[in-house]
Amino acid sequence: MTTDRLEDLLRSTLRAEAKAAEDRIADLEERVLLEIEERRPRLLWHEWLRQLLAPTASSRFGQLVVVGATAAIFLFVGIGISSNLLRHDDAAPKLSLQPVRFADGTQEVLFVLPALNAENVAVVGNFNSWEETALSDQDGDGIWTASIPLPPGRYEYAFLIDGRWWGQDPQADDWVQSFGQFSSVRYIGRGGEDV
Amino acid sequence: MYRAQDEVSLLRASLQGDTAAWGEIIGRYKDAVFGLCLGFMRNRADAEDLSHDAFIRAYVNLRKYNLERKFSTWLFTIAANLCRNKLRYRRNHPTGEMPFHLQGGTDPAKVIQKEDQHALVQQAITKLPYSYRAPLVLRFYNDLSYREISEVLSIPEGTIKTRIHRGKIMLKALIEKERDPT
Repeated sequence: MTTDRLEDLLRSTLRAEAKAAEDRIADLEERVLLEIEERRPRLLWHEWLRQLLAPTASSRFGQLVVVGATAAIFLFVGIGISSNLLRHDDAAPKLSLQPVRFADGTQEVLFVLPALNAENVAVVGNFNSWEETALSDQDGDGIWTASIPLPPGRYEYAFLIDGRWWGQDPQADDWVQSFGQFSSVRYIGRGGEDV
Repeated sequence: MYRAQDEVSLLRASLQGDTAAWGEIIGRYKDAVFGLCLGFMRNRADAEDLSHDAFIRAYVNLRKYNLERKFSTWLFTIAANLCRNKLRYRRNHPTGEMPFHLQGGTDPAKVIQKEDQHALVQQAITKLPYSYRAPLVLRFYNDLSYREISEVLSIPEGTIKTRIHRGKIMLKALIEKERDPT
């Protein structure tokens, strides 16, 4: 086989395999823009904070007023929530799979895994760049938990039980298989079961 | 609406928060980014997820992009880094399974009968080490120059030339081995 022939074959093969799978990105624009829209409050917050720190006195003054008013509202609401939580503490379940929701759509997602004889349990996923986030079992009952705030989106993850991969979380919305191993999937916010 | 506008205008509009402009950018580059991720990862599901993540990450970091630079090179660098990180994670957490296989891509019967050259080449690419596969994909799928590949992979240009040369030799040997296993 000549070098030219090899290069042509390589080029046509790479293009053919991408073409054969192009249905997977047919609606990529919509999915990306949806996630951007869902993240927008946080993106704008960063932009807004940048302007706040910028040396423009007029814009800062207006923003400082808004910061003060927002802080007052949060303080007021926070006191209300705290007193409400204290009042119902006895009736509240100790472990709830119902996520806590924030105004920007972010949810406090609870990852739970029973692993009676494990010494270490961690969760890895695309929300933590596949770096380990440890689960804890403070009362030693073999139920390991971690609570992670996640903005709306699709999350692929797996547990590591003493370093061993465990990809089929019973609490997951879906399981996917790649590289011959399972991973779990959860949908948070729009696009998932919470819609 | 944006067809007639040049890329810099679209990027400037995206920076101003015009998501329709960013949608146009995605439309222009999604095939290239997906093909890159598929070539690197050899897995359709990963390629889909990483393409999505690459456009999100690029949008979030758009302020860091220097408009003087070629946008495609910057975007491919983001996608390549995401692929490299995911492959690195998979390498550090082996599962005992075959590290790569292209899902739903090839018909083994055709490979055995030596009838499908694309299937043979696909299998050979999958067996190539990542350090040789990545430059070949950027060169022959994304049509990048040696200098651009060097920029995307953060590897000296001379090393890229060597890897592409050796990668082709290895690929040829793998194809011939697949074609005639005896």
